[in-house]
Formats: sequence, C-alpha cells, structure tokens
Amino acid sequence: MIRNVLTHIGGIENYGILSLCIFVAVFTGMLVWACCLKRARLDAAARLPLETDHDQPGKTHE
Amino acid sequence: MTNVETFKYDNRIVRAFAIATIIWALVGTAAGLLVACQLFWPELNLNTPFTTFGRLRPLHTNAVIFAFVGNGMFLGIYYSLQRLCKARMFSDALSWFNFWGWNAIIVAAALTLPLGITTSKEYAELEWPIDIAIAVVWVAFTVNLMGTILRRREKHMYVAIWFYIATAVTVAMLHIFNSLSMPASFLKSYPIYAGVQDALVQWWYGHNAVAFFLTTPYLGLMYYFLPKASGRPVFSYRLSIIHFWALIFIYIWAGPHHLLYTALPDWAQSLGMVFSVMLVAPSWGGMLNGLLTLRGAWDKVRQEPMLKFMVVAVTAYGMATLEGPMLAIKSVNALSHYTDWTVAHVHTGALGWNGFLTFSILYWLFPKLWKTKLWSVKLANYHFWIGLLGMMFYVVPMYTSGVTQGLMWKEFTADGFLRYPNFLETVIRLVPMYQLRAIGGLLYVIGIVIMMFNLYKTAKAGQFIGDEEAQAPALEKQAEVKRERGHRWLEGVPVTFTVLTTIAVIIGGLIEIVPLYLVKENVPTIASVKPYTPLEVLGRDLYIREGCVGCHSQMIRPFRSETERYGEYSKSGEFIYDHPFLWGSKRTGPDLHRLGGKYGDDWHYLHMEAPQTLSPGSIMPAYPWLLTRRLDTNALAGRIKALRKVGVPYPPGFENGEAQKALFTQADAIVANLKSKGITNTASDREIIALIAYLQRLGKDIKEAPAVAPTASAATLNPATP
Repeated sequence: MIRNVLTHIGGIENYGILSLCIFVAVFTGMLVWACCLKRARLDAAARLPLETDHDQPGKTHE
Repeated sequence: MTNVETFKYDNRIVRAFAIATIIWALVGTAAGLLVACQLFWPELNLNTPFTTFGRLRPLHTNAVIFAFVGNGMFLGIYYSLQRLCKARMFSDALSWFNFWGWNAIIVAAALTLPLGITTSKEYAELEWPIDIAIAVVWVAFTVNLMGTILRRREKHMYVAIWFYIATAVTVAMLHIFNSLSMPASFLKSYPIYAGVQDALVQWWYGHNAVAFFLTTPYLGLMYYFLPKASGRPVFSYRLSIIHFWALIFIYIWAGPHHLLYTALPDWAQSLGMVFSVMLVAPSWGGMLNGLLTLRGAWDKVRQEPMLKFMVVAVTAYGMATLEGPMLAIKSVNALSHYTDWTVAHVHTGALGWNGFLTFSILYWLFPKLWKTKLWSVKLANYHFWIGLLGMMFYVVPMYTSGVTQGLMWKEFTADGFLRYPNFLETVIRLVPMYQLRAIGGLLYVIGIVIMMFNLYKTAKAGQFIGDEEAQAPALEKQAEVKRERGHRWLEGVPVTFTVLTTIAVIIGGLIEIVPLYLVKENVPTIASVKPYTPLEVLGRDLYIREGCVGCHSQMIRPFRSETERYGEYSKSGEFIYDHPFLWGSKRTGPDLHRLGGKYGDDWHYLHMEAPQTLSPGSIMPAYPWLLTRRLDTNALAGRIKALRKVGVPYPPGFENGEAQKALFTQADAIVANLKSKGITNTASDREIIALIAYLQRLGKDIKEAPAVAPTASAATLNPATP
C-alpha cells in the first residue's frame, strides 16, 4: 500500500519552480549589488588585516 | 576628534587553543591510523568491546572534526577577531568557559564512544547530556563573538568576521534541530524523527556540519591569515562578498545529495543534486580569490613553509569542492556511494584543507605569540613534504579502492549473473589499498610529531606575552558618522548583518525540511510494517552500541546490481519505526536490510563469535563478549516508554510486564533453536540472543505485504525503479 508522495502535499507541483525563483532572485540581486560597489572602498576594506599590523609577516630563519 | 585608546589583546586564550589543537591533531590522526590498520589487520580490534572498529571510528571522526579542527577554528578566531575588531575579547570568563567547556566535551566523547554510548548518527554521535553541554558552550562562544564585534574599535567588519558570524549562527541551528531526541535514560535517547525524516534531518546536519564547521570558519581564517602571511590584501574584496553570500545561501540546500537513490522522495534528491552542482561557483570563487592573493608573491611561497601549507590547503579546498558536486550527480553517486571514494573525498578536505591550513596558522602564530623566529624552517619543510606525501598515499589508494569496489559490485557476467556474488571477494581485493592508505596515514602522523617538536622548541626559545598592548581610536558614535550605503553600510551593522545571514541559511533549510517535517503523507506507510518487538528493540540498541552502522548499510538502492545481491530495494515506508534510521553511508561489509531469514540463528551466533571461521578472509571484528554478557532487560521499560513518546504505537502499559514476557518468549524460542543446532552454552538473557532477534527481523516485514500491482504512484516514489 504505497501511496504517491507528491500528490499529498498541497501545491507541491509549484515547489521546484518556487525554489528556483527564490534562488535566482537572491543570487542575481546579490551579484548586481556586489558589482555596483565602489572600488576604492573595497580596496580599503581589503587592507584591514594589514593596516593593524605592527608585526609584518614573520621572516623565519634557520 | 577621537581618543586613542590603549587596550590589551588576550594571547593566553589563543595559546590554550593552540596547544589543544596540536594535542588533538595527534590524537585524532593516530586514532585514524589505528582504525585504518584494523581494516587489514582485524586482530588489532584486540577482542575487547572498547577497541573495535565500530566504536573507534566515530572516536576518530569526532576527534578530528570537533577536537582538532574545532580547537583550530577557535584558535584562529580568537586571534584574528581581536585584531580585526581592535578590541580584546568581550569576556575573559566566556573565553575560558569556551575553552574548558569545549575540551571537556571532547574528553566526554573520548570516554563515551569507546563505551558504546552513541546515537549512531554520523558526526552527531554524542548522547543528549553532552548535546546540551555543546549547545551551552556554543552559546557562550556566540555571545563572546558578538560581544566583541559590538565593542569593536574598527567600524568595518572584515570578510573573515562575516564567516565567523555565519558559523556561529548556523552550527547552533543545525545542532539543535538534529539533536532533538527523547531520553530513555541518562545516556540513551531516541531521535524524535524516524526513518526518512531522520535521514533527511541528519544529512541536512551532516552536510552542513562540513559546510559550517569545517568550511566557513576556515574560509574566514584563510581571508585573514593568507593576506597576513603574504603581506598583500585579498585579491578581490568584491569576489569575497559574492563568495560569502552565495556560499551560505546555497550550501544549506544541498544536504540530500548524501541520500541519492535512497528511499528519500525524488524531488528532495533532485533539489540536493542541483544545488550541489551550483556550489562549485562560490567555492571556486573563494578558492581563486585565495590563490590569486598570492599574485606577484609566489617567490615568498618558496621561502615560507607557512605559505606552502596555505597554498596546498586552498588547492585541496578547490579539489574537494569540485569533486563534491561531481559526486552529487546521481549517475556518479550511483558508483561512488557506499565506497571508499567518499572516504578519499572527505580526507582531501580534512587532511588538505583543514589540516594544512591549521598547520600553516600554527607555524605563523607561534613565532608571533612567543616573539621569536621559527626554530627550524628546515623541519617545517620536512613536515610539509612528508604531510603532502602522506596525503597522496592516503587518497590515491582510496580512490582506486572506491572505483574498484563500485565497479565490482555492479559487474555482471555475459549470462546476466553478478560476477562477484560473494561480497567478501570485493573486500579482499581492497586489502592492499588499505595497507597503502595506512602508510599514508603514518606519514601524516609523523609530520605532526615533527611539527610538535619544532613548535615546542620555538616556544622555548621565545618569550610569551599574555596581554599584548595595542592602541586604536575609539569607534565614533553612529550619529557622528556619515551614513554609508550598500554593503559598506551592512558591514558596519553587525546585528542586521547577523539577522540577514540567519535568514539566508534558514531559507534553504526550510525549503528542504518543511515538506517532510509537516506532511505526514509524505512518508507512505506500508500496512505490514510493524514496530519492533521488545527483544528486537534491545537487539537494535546493541547494533547501535557496537557501531555496526559504520560498516553496514541498511538501504538497498533500486539498481539491478543491488536487488540481485541483496533483494527487494528499500522503501521509505519500511523505516517509519526506525528511531534512529540506520541506513549507513559506507559498505565495508554488505548491506543488511534484507538479512532477516537469510541465515540461521546458529550462523549469526558463530559469526559474531568469530567471523573468520564462517567467512575466511573477512575483516570483520569478533564480538565474543556478546555471547557472555547479560542483556540489560531493566532498561526495557524506559526504552518502550521513550519510543512510544516519539510515535511508535506500543499499547499503553505495554512496558509493565507484558513487554518483558514477550521478550523472554521470543528469546526462549531462539535459544531452543540454537540448542537444536548444537549450541547449548547460551541462555535467553544473553546479549547475542537480542542481536540475533534484530538481525533476523531486518527487511522481513515487506515480504509479508499483500501483493500490489505496480502503479504510477509507486514509480513516483522511487523513480529509478528498474
């Protein structure tokens, strides 16, 4: 007595397409957002780990 | 004008986590070496319950994941977070509670797992009191993390911090939902989910434990320590934004790829597969961002062992994150699943990505913390090469072994029969690979010992500064700051950032879990499937205690090669009383889902006593103690009650005498049967009798089901039906 999985969830036929829409919307939005960011500010942020440093990368020795 | 404030970084907590990381690195990998050797040298199981493969394998995985990588993660976070926030940790008390609490949990794991106290769910084996302790310690860590971020002196939250936030939030969510269980006693519980639901929740957890415990915190560490070591900013900050959001958003959807071709509904399998393939994009974005950070600085890689380790770690991350999505494609998974291929894949990640990244950080950090230079660059280089060689000796034989075994399972003769009908043939063929793998593991362990010596000498030569003084301007008040826009604004508002991160991980989780969680009809019932008898319940608990699930699956996939070998493929409705599910993820031994009735009771008795007498060449450990130890029938009432609470329909009051009576009636019948076969030195209250009862029950219910004509609905349930 095995019953159909999919027919017992209301609106399951829309489930896949809904998932895809959510994903595409979020991903595209994030991509556009990231691409619109100003380069100068991004570069400043990228230097954060380095600017606090009084201990520049350690030279090792033998 | 802002005041410049003087404060002190807490280096003591970093040192404590560093030492713990190094110790657990040795313990975890040495345990791995032992279990690797047990696979070609069964005598190393030592014939004691506490040292068998089934119990030590979870000890190895827990020691590596939660002890070694866990402490490594805290080590890196506690060092980098303070510097990136220009602030001391929020609370020293919470820092030390985090350290001692986490390591006490690991000690508890090291004690309980060899004792057979386990839930059997992979990477979530620890029982409920320890689970609660994990939740408490994790909350302490999260409060400390968020508190430090809120008290920071640098407005901008660097990308590494985003990954730390995502880790804290998501691990808490995964751990709590996967650990929901009903205690039957102080150290025994049953998950509230059963069968398919339990499998889905477990692999939603298991997959994302890899994602948010082994990956996101380490990506944060990569984004901090790689620029530090190379002296160059990260290649593209824009790419790191895309990397972060895409990774945390997509990762959570991909869990079902661990359950392809199982009784999990097909839509969930397809969802998991598609999102797994999409994961390649953000993962490789991150990997390339890491490697390209070294552009123009590759000369340093030749000189700095720390950078060598880092480059291999990031490359291993790239390889593992390309291979993972490939393995999630159903047709590839059909070959790879249950074989050593998966073992090779996870070890590329664990040995390469987590291991080498941790070693890299340790080599960089020790000279910094002790204000000296690394004692020996030459030794660090030796470690690098021996570790790399060890990794190669590990993964190459495992890939060979995995593909070999997968193909042997599926090979048919020209007449249409299985070419290797005896499973043992496919195991014996792999033994040389297991031996080579152990050599790889040994080399890797030797590398760690070399590192321990080198770091010890480094620390001894230097002077440790526990409270390192630093200065930074106080953070300007919000009102005084020109309002930022876009992601720049988001990176200055940690609470909003955390909420958005939580939403991103919850969306995928909900889409994956909710339908199975809420809709009862999603798991079709089969009328002939009945709850386990009291004796079978205790037998099943013994199966869990001995860690049989580590080597034996209970999930026959709908392939002809599997139905020919094992029998009818597994249906989701067969597992509705399975708390927990025991599908397994590896077939070092054969699948057992249709084992019931295949052999006599006497065969099981003798096989558990000494497997090699019935299966010459078998690598299965012997379980002689099962023949002599008394079954704990006093535990029965509590277990029946707990199982009833999670939905198994035992009648009210069943545990008050009736269950005991039923138990001994069934046990007496098995003993009588054994005596008729000449096995007289046993009794109804021995553990072996309960285990035999459970093994003989496996997969039998469906054989009693009334014949049903194939329908479209059945095909939908398991579309791969041959």
